[in-house]
Amino acid sequence: MNMKLLAVTSCPNGIAHTYMAAEKLAKAAEEAGIDIKVETQGSIGAENVLTEEEIETADGIILAVDKSIEMDRFEGKRVLTCAVSDAIHKPGELIRRFESGDVSVHRSRKEDSEKPGISQTIRIHKKGRAQNPVYRSLMNGVSYMIPFVVVGGLLIALSLGLGGEPGAKGLVVPDHSFWAPILKVGEAAFTFMVPILAGFIAVSIADRPGLAPGMIGGYIAADGSFYGSEAGAGFIGGILAGFIAGYIARWIKSLPVPRVLQPIMPILVIPLAASILVGLLFIFVLGAPIASLMEGLTQFLQGMQGSSKVLLALILGAMIAFDMGGPVNKVAFLFGAAMIAEGQTFIMGAIAAAICTPPLGMGLASLLARSKYQPEEQEAGKAALAMGFVGITEGAIPFAAGDPLRVIPGIMAGSMTAATVAMLSGVTDNVPHGGPIVAAVQAVGNVPMFFVAIAAGTVVTALLVNVLKKPVQTK
Amino acid sequence: MKLSDLLTEDLMVLELNGSSRDEVMEELLDRLDKTGVLSDRDQFKRDLYAREEHGSTGIGFGIAIPHGKSAGVREPRVVFGRKPSGVEWDSMDGEPARLVFMIAVPEEQAGEEHLRILQALSRRLIDDTFRQALLEAEDRKKVKALIESMEPGRK
Repeated sequence: MNMKLLAVTSCPNGIAHTYMAAEKLAKAAEEAGIDIKVETQGSIGAENVLTEEEIETADGIILAVDKSIEMDRFEGKRVLTCAVSDAIHKPGELIRRFESGDVSVHRSRKEDSEKPGISQTIRIHKKGRAQNPVYRSLMNGVSYMIPFVVVGGLLIALSLGLGGEPGAKGLVVPDHSFWAPILKVGEAAFTFMVPILAGFIAVSIADRPGLAPGMIGGYIAADGSFYGSEAGAGFIGGILAGFIAGYIARWIKSLPVPRVLQPIMPILVIPLAASILVGLLFIFVLGAPIASLMEGLTQFLQGMQGSSKVLLALILGAMIAFDMGGPVNKVAFLFGAAMIAEGQTFIMGAIAAAICTPPLGMGLASLLARSKYQPEEQEAGKAALAMGFVGITEGAIPFAAGDPLRVIPGIMAGSMTAATVAMLSGVTDNVPHGGPIVAAVQAVGNVPMFFVAIAAGTVVTALLVNVLKKPVQTK
Repeated sequence: MKLSDLLTEDLMVLELNGSSRDEVMEELLDRLDKTGVLSDRDQFKRDLYAREEHGSTGIGFGIAIPHGKSAGVREPRVVFGRKPSGVEWDSMDGEPARLVFMIAVPEEQAGEEHLRILQALSRRLIDDTFRQALLEAEDRKKVKALIESMEPGRK
């Protein structure tokens, strides 16, 4: 990867030198084949301001300043401070000093910076944390998504919990009810969930130009009607859309363009081109396989009827938890709902138990091992408990999206446990909905074992995920 | 507003007479004062020199950009002076200044358009070919054309 530098230029009047220095640094970096972004603090105010994200990922920072500027944001980074005139006259030399490693790490406490050994270890620690850009992109998307999941989840939970009535279509809030508009607000919040996740994954890869393609791609991924599928691609599709959009936007950004076009690149050319590419890719390339995957799985489940109940429960549980609202989950859920009509309510009974253990399990997990969860994840955990109670599997998505390889196996195991226990003990459910709430509306047969199944699945989820997950590296 | 509104033809001095920094400063100040945009010539001069004290505005590459944000200025303006043989300006690279842009900015001015224009000029002056073309322009019309050719080059 190319070295990535940042710079700030600033002079007392902020009329001329600030911008000359910025221009020179940009040119010298271009010649050296290095990425650079220069913030100018001139009389117009700060422009082209460096983001936290950029500072975090940068290899070094040049401060070409003739007046003092705020330094805290560069804590722990390699910082080279020089006069504005140095940037104008020897920009190449400044850049080479980073290449040769001849720049020390900025520490606000003097005694640290004078001991190279300490700076060295700090640097190594930082490097270790910076190593996995995929994980960082996921967490960026998740942190912006969490408020939407929490708002949507709690409002939906509240309106279903207090205003929901069981029916053939599941738990329904009657139109005239006070809770109907609340439910709608909650659903609106949920609509943003996957687009926001995808959008901010893309932003972490390509900065602001990635936002529109990411969100648009995420929206299309989450809405199956774009590619003739009954269900969208869920949060996994959203993650995919975010990464694709981000990398496409970054690739377009890296293309050499004539200077005249440069001002319109970030607001027009990059978002437009990347959005079209991502959208078409989803509609024409990825959409069809998702639709046929759903068809195949449905046929597969229908073929399973009459075979081993335990096997069916394991498969349904795994499917429910795998993508939480995505196509695989939808197939299992619709299969269960269809079976109610045929009088085989024990299948929905197993599914109802499996539906709620991912959010309940993650909520419990975040309470048991706080050190393994970011502060915002701990908040999301509490909201997940409420969502689990009313059977909103999506409550676990922030955890799964942030660390899919560890969390998804854990919640799958938990849901498989819950489904198997429920199936074997003859739990039934005649409403296509899940979670403890269906017992509260008296749709469940064998209520005690229903709760045993949920408890077992919740505990398995929490323990397994916490064993798999690593502690959060502190900032 | 465009740069050619700030740097009008009557603010171009294609052959500076002065042979020292101070003489050139006076010459450009006179030219500026004649257009009536200075409310207090002495005040602006003091502000220009205060900036020079802080660090020479001879930025090298044969360019000097004495500039000041000053209560003595009514309207933003740029005066362009040319001295093919060069004037000693205490430049960082030791080269004499051959192109001098004196930039006058009022203390208080609504909007920031003029600042953006000056920013664009500063960025453009880094370009070798632009500087060379300025040095070689035969008359004010040519200089004006060069100035107008400038993109509103923001990045």
